Amino acid sequence: MKQTASILSVYAADTSGACSALYELGGMSVIHDASGCNSTYTTHDEPRWYHQDSMVFLTGLTEADAILGNDEKLVGDLVQTAMELRPRFIALCGSPVPMMVGTDYDALAIEVRLKTGIPCFGIHSDGMHSYLHGASQAFLHVCEEFCETSVPRNQNTCNILGLTPLDFSTNGSVQKLRNILERNGFRVIAPLGMDCTLEEVSQMGSASVNLVVSHAGLATAQWFQERFGIPWVAGVPVGTEFSRQVLMSMQSSAQTGKCAVPCAETRHDAAQDAPLVVGEAIFAGSLAAALETETGAPVRILCPLEHDASLLRKTDSTTEDEDEIAALFTTATGVVADPLYRPVCPATVPFHPLPHEAYSGRCYRHLIPDLIGTPIAPLLAAKENVECFVLTK
Amino acid sequence: MLKIAIYGKGGIGKSTVTSNLAAAFAMQGRKVVQIGCDPKADSTINLLDGHPPVPVMNFIRDYDREPESLEEISRTGFGGVVCIEAGGPTPGLGCAGRGILTTFSLLEELRLFELCKPDVVLYDVLGDVVCGGFAAPIREGYANHVIIVTSGEKMALYAANNICQAVQNFADRGYASVRGIVLNRRNVPAEREKVQAFAVSHATQILADIPRSDDISNCEEHGQTVVQGAPDSPAGLAFRELADTLREDSRNG
Repeated sequence: MKQTASILSVYAADTSGACSALYELGGMSVIHDASGCNSTYTTHDEPRWYHQDSMVFLTGLTEADAILGNDEKLVGDLVQTAMELRPRFIALCGSPVPMMVGTDYDALAIEVRLKTGIPCFGIHSDGMHSYLHGASQAFLHVCEEFCETSVPRNQNTCNILGLTPLDFSTNGSVQKLRNILERNGFRVIAPLGMDCTLEEVSQMGSASVNLVVSHAGLATAQWFQERFGIPWVAGVPVGTEFSRQVLMSMQSSAQTGKCAVPCAETRHDAAQDAPLVVGEAIFAGSLAAALETETGAPVRILCPLEHDASLLRKTDSTTEDEDEIAALFTTATGVVADPLYRPVCPATVPFHPLPHEAYSGRCYRHLIPDLIGTPIAPLLAAKENVECFVLTK
Repeated sequence: MLKIAIYGKGGIGKSTVTSNLAAAFAMQGRKVVQIGCDPKADSTINLLDGHPPVPVMNFIRDYDREPESLEEISRTGFGGVVCIEAGGPTPGLGCAGRGILTTFSLLEELRLFELCKPDVVLYDVLGDVVCGGFAAPIREGYANHVIIVTSGEKMALYAANNICQAVQNFADRGYASVRGIVLNRRNVPAEREKVQAFAVSHATQILADIPRSDDISNCEEHGQTVVQGAPDSPAGLAFRELADTLREDSRNG
């Protein structure tokens, strides 16, 4: 049945992506939705929830509010709460019901900003897109709002764009990413999304290059390119040789001003039976590139999420359909994917589990490896080390 | 870019006014896009010799997918006017307001404005501002002006008042503002005086006075606007003068 998944899971939704992107920045994220419980958006998809405070609220939308268009009540609640808590900004995130009744988040944000004097913006999330869609909007809004425009350019500096625990978990990989960049001569101005403050955000326009580590950072990178002339490089420095290629691309881009996509450009088109890496376009592409450099054989990726064609090779796949994914798995000589993909992988195809927080949430969080600067080939050599849910039809 | 949303009571002549205005702008040599936001999907019919484009909602229903190019959901009519119809759900089902929002979102994805580079965009909207979907054309980024079509009839003025009120309610939101009124005559007694009094009481003005004329219906019989079929008739001249008046708006920024 078209667009129906009876076995596979779904990725975290756009609302979770927006909340995740904004979690550490001192703002107030308000999800306009029914229910008074925010566990779906926070506890299930947010590993920082239990040890780091953040202002994440739900509006408790009622049927009557939706039918009658009680925007005044929402604006009143937002203004009252904001005046008490004085957040650095207010993000109003959408959900399916307000989307259906045409709630104008941008207009409400204008009203709230006028009444509170606090920066406020709307996130057009509707629960029907992936976390990348919400995080992408959130990152862009924050930069548009808080980046100072007249900062001088600093040589050998960079920002990291597209970081959320949904792709990078909280396993130390972000710190390792910073370390590897700084060891190679790049001072990190802002790792936007994780271990980052609004003060750092204000200085992002001074970077000489942006490193885009997930599709959630691409729109912001393009904005920096247009607004500040900062080039961007798309890739995650995983593996040893591929990490070196990413760093060389950054050095070259900083000098020439030209953007680069090593997660796709350093790879070759793969055969139809090549191993398959499943996941977010830049992360999966980087893993595939690292595997290719280490094994000498091209690897395909399957990106069932929002992506840009420039991030992929023509032999990569983008289907979201469960039956098509299952069919694709049968053609591969190996599959690297979240353990929840295991049930649609034939027993004859080696399956190498790589948990992805945006897909299986906290189920396998403790098993998510930090791959920054680390050889990747052992991932393929390793036996299945995660107990997978195997469903029977 | 001049972006205008045309509102007014059902049956008052919004589509007639909109398509004649589109034709008049086109005769000035301006690039025009007209978007019909009525589920009936008949806004642009008189710019297209009676053959409107496939409405966006009908396309999605018939093909079970979203359109992938503007060509699939638009037709070019008199004077090069790009004609698009939102269409609507199966009568009695679904949500027409949501249909308008979805259409607008799709047109954005298909980069309508970037590709067509229009000088003028006209939104022909169903009747009253009954819900969020029907306010979509006056949201920030869409129309910057609202024109209300009314006659001197009581119910037409009642609807015009509701529209003014809705626009007023959105004053803090950066929405479009009322540019003025088009009097589409039904020949009721003291019609001009009644509409003029309404305009004054709402701090606006009558932009055009369209005479009740058989020329309009005769041209529509042939799938044409009166601006196309009888450009020098009193009605044709009234629409062309309205386009001249509004052109000054875009010149003045």
